[in-house]
Amino acid sequence: MPATLENPTSPPIENNPGRQTAADDFAGPSEAVISVRGLTKVFKDFWGRPKARAVDNVDFEVRRGEVFGLLGPNGSGKSTTVKMLLGLLHPTGGHIEVFGHSPRHVATKSLIGYLPEESYLYRFLDSRETLDFFGNLFDLPPAQRRRRTEELLEMVGLGGVRTRVVGEFSKGMQRRIGLAQALINDPELIILDEPTAGMDPIGCREVKDLILTLAHRGKTVLLSSHLLSDVEDVCDRVVIYYGGRIQAEGTLKELLAKPDAVRITMPPLPRETMQRVLDIIRHDVASEKVEVDTPSQNLESYFLEVVRKAREGLSETSGATSGSLVAAYLRGDAGAPPPAEKILQRLTQAGAPKPVPAPAAPAPAAKVDEAKLAGLAKAAEPRAAPPAPAPAPPADLAKANEKLSTLLGKRDEPRK
Amino acid sequence: MAGGDAVERSLIDMHRILTIARLTWKSAFRYRIFWVMAVTLVAAVVGLPLVLKDDGTAKGLTQIVLTYTLSSVSVLLGFATLWLSCGTLARDVEDCQIQMVASKPIARWQIWLGKWLGILALNAMLLALSGSAIYLLLQWRSHRLPADQQKVLQDEIFVARAAARERPPDLSKEIENLAAQWAKKNPRAKPTAEEIAILKTLFANQARTNLEAVDPGYYKLWVINLSSLPARVRAQPMQMRVKFTVSDPDPAAANGRTYGMIWRVGPTNSQQAQYLEEYLPPSSFQELPLPPLLDSSGDLYVACQNIDPTEQLFFPIEDGFEVLYRESTFAVNFARGMAVILSWLALLSAIGLASASFLSFPVAAFCSLAVLIVGLSTGTLSEVQQEKSIFLGTGEKPTIVKKIIDALTVPLFDAALKVVNLVEAFSPVESLSTGQSITWGQLGLAVGQIVVLMGGFFTLAGILLFHRRELAAAQINS
Repeated sequence: MPATLENPTSPPIENNPGRQTAADDFAGPSEAVISVRGLTKVFKDFWGRPKARAVDNVDFEVRRGEVFGLLGPNGSGKSTTVKMLLGLLHPTGGHIEVFGHSPRHVATKSLIGYLPEESYLYRFLDSRETLDFFGNLFDLPPAQRRRRTEELLEMVGLGGVRTRVVGEFSKGMQRRIGLAQALINDPELIILDEPTAGMDPIGCREVKDLILTLAHRGKTVLLSSHLLSDVEDVCDRVVIYYGGRIQAEGTLKELLAKPDAVRITMPPLPRETMQRVLDIIRHDVASEKVEVDTPSQNLESYFLEVVRKAREGLSETSGATSGSLVAAYLRGDAGAPPPAEKILQRLTQAGAPKPVPAPAAPAPAAKVDEAKLAGLAKAAEPRAAPPAPAPAPPADLAKANEKLSTLLGKRDEPRK
Repeated sequence: MAGGDAVERSLIDMHRILTIARLTWKSAFRYRIFWVMAVTLVAAVVGLPLVLKDDGTAKGLTQIVLTYTLSSVSVLLGFATLWLSCGTLARDVEDCQIQMVASKPIARWQIWLGKWLGILALNAMLLALSGSAIYLLLQWRSHRLPADQQKVLQDEIFVARAAARERPPDLSKEIENLAAQWAKKNPRAKPTAEEIAILKTLFANQARTNLEAVDPGYYKLWVINLSSLPARVRAQPMQMRVKFTVSDPDPAAANGRTYGMIWRVGPTNSQQAQYLEEYLPPSSFQELPLPPLLDSSGDLYVACQNIDPTEQLFFPIEDGFEVLYRESTFAVNFARGMAVILSWLALLSAIGLASASFLSFPVAAFCSLAVLIVGLSTGTLSEVQQEKSIFLGTGEKPTIVKKIIDALTVPLFDAALKVVNLVEAFSPVESLSTGQSITWGQLGLAVGQIVVLMGGFFTLAGILLFHRRELAAAQINS
């Protein structure tokens, strides 16, 4: 048994992302941080009769450093799985290992950060006291606790409401403070259950950016969500739950790629050029199989840009502000290393932060016809630019959600 | 090295327990439970003597200002403790905050103990507040009494007197003698097993009576060893507390009548021995001054001569004669009394938390209050034990159904009484009201029996149940 596990107080590493962390003792980079085999959970009534089979013979592994998504509609067994991973529910059958230990192993929990699907916080504590309380449970030294509290409050945009009790917070603000408490111990494994629920689009984007930052630092993230955009934007691998069983599993690329189609994105072409291109394509492909459309940025990108511009001209708010930079200790540059060291660090890092994955599914499109072609040609003419260049847009979310609903069935099962 | 690790680990465990205790403490303040309780308790302490007027005697004042208020404070805090301890754990589970806490590196037993410790600290604070109010009120009100009553108060209430008794005699030899005499008188008798049992009881009663009885004109001697007491205690004035009954059972005849006796205090054949002639009523405790005339080995000899011409006097072995001496000051005694009450509250908080470890808040509160009510019903429990039936006072011939019910329930009542007696064997309110000392030994025994033994049982049960509980199940069910 690794010695560091037996000593949960060993301070998390703050300023050197390349350094070995306590979790390295449990699992190598490609080893499983979470291992689930034949996991089953049957809820029983007072008389011990089976009431609901919430999770049914589930197997999966979460490897170190990956962002792993549990995707599924409400009541599909995601949260029940998460609660079993944390030892809050006992499996009816199967086997779970987290960092090589039982989920009930107390010392292992010093490596885990958990954000439940609702922020179950003590309403009488203010934001600073909340983080201090959870920091105390991790036995963080007072100075470190204070510093991290301040950094996290700034990071989640609650720096201005330090002394307001959590009970007065809006749901979105409670999610923010909930997220902050999940990160107070600089965890190796972060389990986020519906992390963007109740958050505004800015908050959602910030949470996703944070997840990517953490992943870049080699942290393992387990994300449970029914929001396709959340999962699609950040996850490396996913499992799709329905009815307590895993219906699909793999990387997003594997799951979403359409190997029998090709998509080309380019600046608008003059009408004649476009016609020639299409003629060439039609030479090899039947007309009804060719789709042409104009890519549009997604609503999230558009909204964020509008808010960014508005903020430039403004203003105070009594609620949560947009979060600032990710806390230094989470970025891995706490203690402000000297510039030369920073440059060296950057150069030795694997690369730039992960980009938001490009949409794998094609946007909905109309069949090619003359009117469409005319429209496209018109688009080639100079026109007002969109508010801002957007990152590679994910697929139309509403349609994608609809698609998945159809795939998984529309019945919204009661929550288990 | 291993020892150092163990110490460090213990410190970390303690740090986590204290973190939970501080949270419990903070919630009581933020939700204003502490302030409401503090105001209620102080209002009870100050208000009760205003509503109930004393009769101007030291005993009357003590009854109102000490007995009633201390009892009220105990009951109020008892109910509040149960409510709070059930609420603090059950609500955390039902409102799901426990999921946030239990997913951190803290063991379930640490959460449980942290809550218990938080409630205990809260109770200690409230008890210190109300105890101080009672103490100050008592001191202030005592100055308004007439001078003679103030003296009574100083001598009998504002003291901490411990009691010393003669070592209980061994009755077995006396019983054997009586049996031998009977056998000699009845050489042909061949009693059955049942008759032998009856005879044994008779002989035991006879032996006891022989030791307790003082015939007219005769005397009884008590020798009490006080050598273990500090010299300053032995030098102070003492009292003897006596109680006797008479052979005439007719209450009309005994009503208002007193019986004469001469008390002789001091070593046998000593010139310094002192005599005291007293006429005392039967069946009640009487206190008489007792000069501290101990012999060189620390023995105190006290003899009582019955000068009543007709009646036998009986001094019960258990409490017929006691020597009262000043063991400590009233303030120290009062503090020890408060500590015994705090032990009760510690037990109640363990009961509340144990219930909340596996039950929802309303059910846990109901069960805990039921336990408290059973604890307050010792009279009924004793009656059931004596009558061997739960159908008290019906006077009807028991039916088969009643017999079956009694067979099932009476043992439960017996067990409940035994358990309750473990806790109620200590009555600090009565001791303080009569100026009796609650010694450090008694306090240690109270803590051992109430907190360690009884509280430990509920703590272990509660922690075990809480450890096995699915903490996210409440949310799933809701």
